[in-house]
Amino acid sequence: MIDAKTTAAIRDYAARAVEEKLYGSGDVIAMRTKNGFVVNDGCALSEIDDSRLIEVAAGDTRPEYALLTALFAAREDINAVMITHPAYVCAAARAKVTIPAVVDDMAQIVGVNCKTSRSDSVSDVLAAMKGRNSCLIAGGGALTTGRTLDEAYTCALVLDKAAHVYICGSAIGGCRIINTLEAKLMRFVYKKKYSKTNQKNISEREGD
Amino acid sequence: MAWRPEEEARLRQVIKDSGVALLKENLVQGTWGNTAVRLDEDHMLVTPTGLDYIALQPEDMPIVKISDPSVWEKGKKPTSERKIHAAIMADRPEINATIHSHPVWCSVLASARIELPVMSDEMRRLVGGSARVGAYGLPGTKKLKNGTVAAMKGRNACFMANHGVFCAGKDMDEAFEIIRVMEKSCKQYIEQKTLEATGQSTYSDELLFDYFKSKYGA
Repeated sequence: MIDAKTTAAIRDYAARAVEEKLYGSGDVIAMRTKNGFVVNDGCALSEIDDSRLIEVAAGDTRPEYALLTALFAAREDINAVMITHPAYVCAAARAKVTIPAVVDDMAQIVGVNCKTSRSDSVSDVLAAMKGRNSCLIAGGGALTTGRTLDEAYTCALVLDKAAHVYICGSAIGGCRIINTLEAKLMRFVYKKKYSKTNQKNISEREGD
Repeated sequence: MAWRPEEEARLRQVIKDSGVALLKENLVQGTWGNTAVRLDEDHMLVTPTGLDYIALQPEDMPIVKISDPSVWEKGKKPTSERKIHAAIMADRPEINATIHSHPVWCSVLASARIELPVMSDEMRRLVGGSARVGAYGLPGTKKLKNGTVAAMKGRNACFMANHGVFCAGKDMDEAFEIIRVMEKSCKQYIEQKTLEATGQSTYSDELLFDYFKSKYGA
C-alpha cells in the first residue's frame, strides 16, 4: 500500500509539470519510500492517478528501473527524481552541450552548470550527476532531483528555462555567462537561506 | 500613514491577484519574481520572500517604507528585491505599481545583455522606447539596484542582466500590459534574428535547434 501523502504529492507535481509544459515522451516522476521508491508506471504525466503509481523495491533488477534504483542507492541526499522531456531541454541534450549559468536562478537552483551525460547508460548518467542535482541525458531529457519533489520540480522548471535562454541566445550573439565565483556564491546563499524559507513555507502549507 | 484601510485591503488583493495572473500567463515561475504597489508617497505593499503565488494570502503582504526599505511592518518578511521597487518608486513619483520577474523570452535578452529596439507602436507607447539592460549585479546588491534605476530612466521597463525584467506602471493593470508587451517583443526579436542568422524565411523551433546544434553542439 503506497502512502497517500506520497501519491498526492506525485499527482500534484505531475499536474504542475503538465501545466508548465514540462513534458514529453517517457517522463518519470519518483519519490523515495522506506522500501524503495514510488514511480509512475510509464504513463504520461497527464495520465497519472493512484492506479498508475507503483512501488519498486530497493535492489530491484528490472532494467527499466535501473537508473532510478542506482540513483537512489548512490545518493542518500536525493528523495525525489523527475525525468522530463520538454522541447528545449531535449534540443540541448541532442546537441550534448553543457548548459552554463546564463540566468541567476539557474546558478541558485541548478548550480554553475548542467552537463549532458556521455551516453544514456546508467554509469554515464551517474557520472554526469556527480556532485550535482541534475544533468541532461544524452539524446533524452533532463534528470532533476531534490530533497523534496518540490525541489526536483523547481530544478526541472529552471533548467528548462536555462536551456531555452541558452539556445535562443545563440541566435542573438550568445549569452553572457555568470562567472563561476558569483554563481557559486548565489548557489550557497540560496541553499542556506532562500531554499530553507521556501521549504518552511511549503511544509506549513502542506502541514508536514 | 495616509491611506484608508479599505484601500489597503483592495491593494493587498491586487498584489495577490497579480501573482496568480503572472503564473497563469507564464510570466513568472515558482516563487520567483515580485510585485509592489504604492500605498502613499513613502509606503508600498510588496510580496513576501519565498512564498508561492498560489499560497500567498492578501494579509501576507508586508508594508515597506520607500525611503528606507529596511523598515517594514505587518505580513511576512518582504522580498529582498524590495530595495529595487522602492528605488524606482522614490525616483518616479508617477509610478504606482512595479513587477519584477524572469519570463523566458525577456530572460534571453537579459542574459545576452542586448538592448531591445522598439518592436511595435504598442511597445513604444507602453515602454517609452527601447528597453535597456541594467548593469549586472548579484541579487540584493546596490549595484543591481542602481543599474536598474539607471536603465529605467525615461522608460517603463528594462532588463536586469542575467536576471530578468523590471516593469513599472501607473497601476498594476498598466504594469501588466508592459510585461506582456516586453515578453511578446522579445520573442519577436529572437525569431527575427534566427531568420537572419539562418537565411530562412519561416521561423520554427526546429530551425533554431538545428542552428544551435551546428554552432554549439558537441
